[in-house]
Amino acid sequence: MTSATTSSAAAISHEEEVRRLERREGWKRRLPILPALIFTIVVTQIPFLFTLFYSLTEWRLDKPDPRKFIGVDNYASLPGDKFFRDAAWVSVQMTVMAVLFSLIVGTLLAILLDRKFFGQGLIRTLLITPFLVMPVVAGFMWKTQMFNATFGVINWVLNLFGFDSIEFATRFPLASVVVVLVWQWSPFMMLIVLAGLQGQDQSVLEAARVDGATTWGSFRQITLPQLRPFLELGTLLGAIYLIQVYDHIEVIVGGQPGAKNLPFYIAQRSIGGGNRFGLASSYSIIVVIASIIIANIGLRVLSNLLEDDS
Amino acid sequence: MAEVRYEAASRLYPGAEEPAVNKLNLDIADGELLVLVGPSGCGKSTALRMLAGLETVTSGSVHINGVDVTLKPPQDRDIAMVFQNYALYPSMTVAQNMGFALKQAKVPKAEREAQVREAARILDLTEYLDRKPKNLSGGQRQRVAMGRAIVRKPQVFLMDEPLSNLDAKLRVQTRTELVDLQARLGVTTVYVTHDQVEAMTMGDRVAVLKFGELQQVDAPRTLYSAPANKFVAGFIGSPAMNLLDAEDVDGAPGIAGAAIPLEESVLSQLKSQDLDQVAVGVRPEHLTLGTTGIEGEVTVVEELGSESFVHVTVSHRGEPTTLVVRDRGETETGRGDRVKVDFGGPIHVFGSDGLRVEA
Amino acid sequence: MALFTRAPKAEPILGQNRVVAAILGLLTWIIGLLFFFPLFWLVLNGFKEESVANASPTLVFDPTTDRFCDVTATSKWVSWFTELTNLCQPSEVTGGGLLTFSEAFSNSFWIVLISTVLVMILAVPAAYALAIRPMRKWRDVLFFFISTKFLPIVGIIMPVWIIARDLNLLGTRTVLVILYTAMNLPLAVWMLRSFFAEVPKELIEAAQIDGCSLMGQLRQVILPIVAPGLAATALLCVIFAWNEFFFAIQLNPTGASTMPVWVNAQQNFQGQFLAELSAASVLATFPVVIAGWVAQKRMIRGLAMGAIK
Repeated sequence: MTSATTSSAAAISHEEEVRRLERREGWKRRLPILPALIFTIVVTQIPFLFTLFYSLTEWRLDKPDPRKFIGVDNYASLPGDKFFRDAAWVSVQMTVMAVLFSLIVGTLLAILLDRKFFGQGLIRTLLITPFLVMPVVAGFMWKTQMFNATFGVINWVLNLFGFDSIEFATRFPLASVVVVLVWQWSPFMMLIVLAGLQGQDQSVLEAARVDGATTWGSFRQITLPQLRPFLELGTLLGAIYLIQVYDHIEVIVGGQPGAKNLPFYIAQRSIGGGNRFGLASSYSIIVVIASIIIANIGLRVLSNLLEDDS
Repeated sequence: MAEVRYEAASRLYPGAEEPAVNKLNLDIADGELLVLVGPSGCGKSTALRMLAGLETVTSGSVHINGVDVTLKPPQDRDIAMVFQNYALYPSMTVAQNMGFALKQAKVPKAEREAQVREAARILDLTEYLDRKPKNLSGGQRQRVAMGRAIVRKPQVFLMDEPLSNLDAKLRVQTRTELVDLQARLGVTTVYVTHDQVEAMTMGDRVAVLKFGELQQVDAPRTLYSAPANKFVAGFIGSPAMNLLDAEDVDGAPGIAGAAIPLEESVLSQLKSQDLDQVAVGVRPEHLTLGTTGIEGEVTVVEELGSESFVHVTVSHRGEPTTLVVRDRGETETGRGDRVKVDFGGPIHVFGSDGLRVEA
Repeated sequence: MALFTRAPKAEPILGQNRVVAAILGLLTWIIGLLFFFPLFWLVLNGFKEESVANASPTLVFDPTTDRFCDVTATSKWVSWFTELTNLCQPSEVTGGGLLTFSEAFSNSFWIVLISTVLVMILAVPAAYALAIRPMRKWRDVLFFFISTKFLPIVGIIMPVWIIARDLNLLGTRTVLVILYTAMNLPLAVWMLRSFFAEVPKELIEAAQIDGCSLMGQLRQVILPIVAPGLAATALLCVIFAWNEFFFAIQLNPTGASTMPVWVNAQQNFQGQFLAELSAASVLATFPVVIAGWVAQKRMIRGLAMGAIK
């Protein structure tokens, strides 16, 4: 019995040693992540708290009045604010249309590219390129060289068929911006869908073929469900970026009305000369809340994706 | 030159209820090839990785050559490991792979190269020394992984299913080469596999694990002839032992209505036990087809050329039950035949606790 | 597993009839060329005289490189390239005045370079900690990083502007370096984690047993495997930072600003010089287009496959 007692005493000290080692190991594992974590929190999360605070104040930078705490008055005024309502409505239309159309176009492009043909690599590279182009340049290029009534290629083609020229950017500002956004984002969607198509389990498709499934049937019943996470990922990333569009609007529409979304309007009302930091902050918070809703759905998708990742 | 010792060594994963390895006690002699075998999830790999220092020993201790290495990191244990997927460094050539550990130990370049060349010669890898792993066949990669281990001249080799990624024929060939190499080098080796044939053919001794518990450790012959419990009896041997819950035939254990010829000493030990809980085991080669014995119908005949295995369905405890009988090659028995099965060799009896009842 | 190559037996979604295949191939070519056409036209316009560019569209013209020389304010076609290389010297911030091409290019170059280097310095250890030696709850940490990407920039732009103003950082390169680092960090951590996760665990264990230190493992075992992924991630950060306009125009519309701000300013002030603007746009765009072409396969694999595998 004495030997049992001594060995159990040794076991306790051993367990303490193990625990000490594991604690140190835990820190060794956590330490490398801290710089990135702290940097991200300081630069992105803390300013957000400031915005939240500003949104509860009446604060104009162009007047000497001190910042005044007014509670939720800014938010209360939003429903009656026509400019805000217009900007919010533009934001919704622009985001939904741009995401939807680029997803559809991107998926079709991916299906076309997902087969062997002469020059496949070259065409894929050409199709990717719009995504890489600087948004400011994309906007300028479409505005002056495609949409323009006198020198624009689109109007030149219209004239060929006997139609009159249209100054697209002025007549249809929202549609013009969406066209350029779709042109830039379809390639992105295409790449994501392509990754899904080429990563799919071929043996399942072959089994379906053996079971006598038609091309369309196996696409609808096997490929599409397998593509779903990729389509969701594309929608999520696309929505997150497209809700924030600014560059295209600045270049294509500029100060004209008709296609100002919330981010554009917020910048205009605050830093861009409006100087109403309190009110503009409340707009910002609305955009953030909308994004949080999208992100929440999105994060659920992403967490499903990570589930199988051991 | 080293012996290895596990002393009540356990590994409890954080959050797990049961330890993956539970109070393992094992002594491995200098120069011995010990095989750890068991079904997947039995803790054999964990036990090996505890010895390697890749898993924390949560209680108990591990000793190499008399030194307690329980809390030492892998690099201070003087061991070499061969991984299932070989874990060759993809960016390095074969020579660099093999010399990597020596380079870490700051062995002078000339000496390093000499040792790599020597190992390459032993393993027939000399012409591949400048290739990258991706340009090698599976068998060659396996040999490079071996080479990386032997170049170091470690105290212990640890091998984690090193042959399981080879095709069947190459696996058998490499198996014998590996045994020969280990015997020549005389380095203590701990070898993990799930394949009992590999365990039986390679090990000086074999340790059988199940649910983290050591079931039996013995020479292959002993494991086969005297399995310590029901699990080992069923796990070791191919085809598996006929292992049935006994039937009460006139107060003695029996199969399909027939009493089993058992020694008095065994019978007397069973006196106090409920015969329904007792298990009886007979290996296929210890059953014969003949004119006496249990009657049954042949359902399957497996012809292997030199021998054949005849599956006979008998009525045991009121249920149709299959007995596998070894017969000679080119047997005349066919499916549907009515045959009689008789006992022709040792019979294993396991008490209600699952443990072997020794005569 | 290479993303853009597949087993030869694999069947495309659309049928395998040869005539259909030929038609679909042709269709893909036409769509591909149509998608690329606006850019092709931009490049073409860059090589035109102003009088030709500001007229009805035409494919037939005398190409000239004068516009490119005008943009870079050098007299000869051959010298604008040497000019570009000279630009990459850090220059003092020029206060006010209209930004010249060379100033904008050099600002962009330094801002993008430094922020990308910073991103990698911060993201590589984080990705290592998330993928190779995962701590408990590593998923939550990764989620946090991704979720910061979901916070719209407008949610922070005002405080950032005010803080930058109070620290006298408005109109400097520094403010954009900090913001671009923060902007790209989540993406980089996300992508790098997926590349690091591809390193087999056994390789690191083998290196440990072989007596390799932590730094040695990183340098000799992990780095050679993840190097292409590192490069792709860095290139993606370069692309996003190079093209970024919102922060640049809000926080730094003046002397120390970047290519997108310069292109926008050119457009506003000299909108009638279509050919010169086209040439300028081509110069502003081509560095990242080339970078994207080089990194396309791995970039998308890191973005999409890393998440899904």
